[in-house]
Amino acid sequence: MSVVTGAKNKISVKIGRGAAMAILIFLSVLVLIPLVWTICMSLKPDGEIYNGRFFPTALQFDNYIRSVTKIDFFLYLANTLKIVIPSVIGMVFSCALVAYGFSRFDFKGKRAWFLILLATMMIPGQVTMIPQFLLYRMIGWVNTYLPLTVPAFFATSGYNVFLMRSFMSGIPKDFDEAATIDGAGPLRSFIRIMLPMCQPVLMAVTVFTFMGTWNDFNGPLIYLYDAKKYTLSLGLSFFKGLYTSQWNLLMAATVLVMLPILILFFLAQDYIINGISISSGTKG
Amino acid sequence: MSAITADKKPKTNLNQRRQNRYGYAFIAPWLIGLFLFTLIPMLFSLFLSFCKWDIVTGLSSIQWIGTQNFTKIFNDGKFYKALEVTFKYCLISIPAYQIISLIVAMLLNMRIKFMHGIRLIFFLPSIIPTIASSMIWMQMLGKEGILNQGLALLGISGPSWLKTPQTALYGLIIMGVWGIGNTIIIYLSGLQGVGEELYEASAIDGANSFQRFFKITIPMISPTIFFNVVMAVIGSFQYFTQAFVMTEGGPLNSTLFYNLYLYTKAYKDLQMGYASALAWIMFVIILFFTLLVIRSSSFWVYYQNDDKI
Repeated sequence: MSVVTGAKNKISVKIGRGAAMAILIFLSVLVLIPLVWTICMSLKPDGEIYNGRFFPTALQFDNYIRSVTKIDFFLYLANTLKIVIPSVIGMVFSCALVAYGFSRFDFKGKRAWFLILLATMMIPGQVTMIPQFLLYRMIGWVNTYLPLTVPAFFATSGYNVFLMRSFMSGIPKDFDEAATIDGAGPLRSFIRIMLPMCQPVLMAVTVFTFMGTWNDFNGPLIYLYDAKKYTLSLGLSFFKGLYTSQWNLLMAATVLVMLPILILFFLAQDYIINGISISSGTKG
Repeated sequence: MSAITADKKPKTNLNQRRQNRYGYAFIAPWLIGLFLFTLIPMLFSLFLSFCKWDIVTGLSSIQWIGTQNFTKIFNDGKFYKALEVTFKYCLISIPAYQIISLIVAMLLNMRIKFMHGIRLIFFLPSIIPTIASSMIWMQMLGKEGILNQGLALLGISGPSWLKTPQTALYGLIIMGVWGIGNTIIIYLSGLQGVGEELYEASAIDGANSFQRFFKITIPMISPTIFFNVVMAVIGSFQYFTQAFVMTEGGPLNSTLFYNLYLYTKAYKDLQMGYASALAWIMFVIILFFTLLVIRSSSFWVYYQNDDKI
């Protein structure tokens, strides 16, 4: 009897798995269609843009060269990197410092400050957006990269601090106490002992900050007026306004803008997914 | 004995002083940033919301006008339109995205070959720059776009989604489904934390799959649902970039999201006081709904270890 139900169960499990697999494959195809379609469009000859076919009849790789020259791609790329690189360095280092403070020292008011840190994650950007803009305007920072980079040095992402603190709290205190006995000050044991042990979470924050800054649209939109200072995101939207009918070139530029992010994602997928899981409190 | 205690006391005091000194030294960057980039701007923005200020003329022209901005806002038809659009978007997208994410996450949680690769596919769209996905979907949602080509296979003739006032908002909502990979990953990690033994025990008790879903899965992942819903509430009310790039609020203001209206008031019309008042109204709305979710959580969120933060 039990053998029979066991066999029945096995069959139903198999059918269930098969059905789930079929649904998943179908959904994956749906998810991939926009991306595949974008790549196809980016390679279409000009005459085929509006023919309603999915695949191009001939692959026009030349589109990429044309779009790169039309959109001033390398200028925008350089501009974007001028924001991304300082932001990543500032964010990783400042958030690590602050997270170390929260995870290793029992200072007065620690609990209250930490709750405030979590609460700041809930403040919508628009409440601080206008006064920040006015402040930067007063000190002449508008239309420079400073408003987009300097704040990163002040651990402005509660999310990243929270992520790093969770990770550091999981590292036994014995390690840095041993360093303290050897005569190292807290800053030295932070740099020498803690940072090397935190590599996975440092990577996660690096990747998040890189993606966040690279993808940022609203910041550059508000602070940069001069087209020569535009970032890739902003440049792409500007390009859209000028060449609405040349969708093949527009899509080639779109592919180029998302390519570095896709590469980064495939290289660092485990860090990203673990980081997201930790932050939601379901892991770590 | 007394010598020992006497010896110990100053030492702990000294230790506490060191703890304070080092602790504050390490969190100093964040503390400074908190005042500089959050608290002071917030106070200034609150002050501005009671002022009239055309920024072109400089600081000296700030003029205190009391609650006039707010009375004007409450008589502003576009304000109500923006609220309507934003609420409609939140009301549809928050539950829909959560349910879809959870279903997909449950499928992704099964032990099947190639699952790692399939998970990556679902996550992929959520890392694409918003500007890029906006560009892609402007085409997808066109009259001859892929979505309508797909619908045509089912015998449905779709509209030009973003150019029709009745469908523009729904076009954006459909596009949003594509980018919910983040939420899916969080649900997935929540599901992976549910112990197998609970399901095995319930199977012995003869529970069917519906009972297992509602009696075990949902309660066990309720902290994850809670996290995702809070994040969704905060994020959805601030919807901006896609509408700015793809529809510019149109057609006929059918996608005039609140933040888009606020942006126009602040940076196009340069009415900083009015815009600050708009920002504070949105802040209060978000705060209200976030607290509502947090308050309600004691009724439906189940913490296994009783450790909240």
